[in-house]
Amino acid sequence: MTASPLTSAEGPGRRVARPRNFETTAWLFMRYSGVLLIPLVWIHVLIQDVLVGVHAIDLDYVALRWATLGWRVYDGALLAFTFAHGMNGLRNVLNDYVRGRRTRRALDIGLLLAWLVITAIGAVAIVGGVGRPG
Amino acid sequence: MASLRIPLEGSLYYRGREGQWAYWLHRLTGLGTLLFLTIHILDTSTVYFFPDLYQHAIAIYRATPFMLGEIALVFAVIYHGVNGLRIALFDLLPSWWEADRQRLSFWWVVGLSVLLWLPAAFLMGRSLVVHNFLGG
Repeated sequence: MTASPLTSAEGPGRRVARPRNFETTAWLFMRYSGVLLIPLVWIHVLIQDVLVGVHAIDLDYVALRWATLGWRVYDGALLAFTFAHGMNGLRNVLNDYVRGRRTRRALDIGLLLAWLVITAIGAVAIVGGVGRPG
Repeated sequence: MASLRIPLEGSLYYRGREGQWAYWLHRLTGLGTLLFLTIHILDTSTVYFFPDLYQHAIAIYRATPFMLGEIALVFAVIYHGVNGLRIALFDLLPSWWEADRQRLSFWWVVGLSVLLWLPAAFLMGRSLVVHNFLGG
């Protein structure tokens, strides 16, 4: 096999010391959560959007699903991993275009707050369950 | 806005071909999915906070433009996952880092994504026609 230009310097698979900082952890989180989200999200989309369909979904349907603890845990995992993966992805995209140190900091704080608040809202709903319509 | 103009303008002239297309599609599908996800978390939360509003939200999701958007969303979710796996796979196998192989891998991702999406799109499209046009 011919050595590719990208790896010829030290041979393929060489190890590089990587710093143990926030960005490394964030990168690893994106990779591992990404792999996890493939079954988690695809199964959710397959069941709810493709097989059940939005015309069959209403309050009773959600109540029936959430009567099973396992589905609440599943939805909790979906909420935690999808939204964290997505918000960190947005942060990565923004950091490609936003140059100013102060603007970046402001955006990071804004994203962190939005992530915490929206995750909390979703978590309260999953724990609280379906309410009675007035 | 100079900071935005340079990368956006540069991407028009930079001829990265397949690698660049894969990158832009990954960003686009990721951002699109995040937009939907944010709305989706908030509207589903109304089952607890404002149950009456949930009926309202679901009625919007059943409208034809939203169901078409949902079919597009499913493609975005499939492509983003398949392309993400491709990136992870290439990171694990440095011996694959050749331009030809990378270029070809993009078409594998597109082909596999479309193949996985077609049956889903058919079922969702059929549901759309049955419920919104045939009164089923």
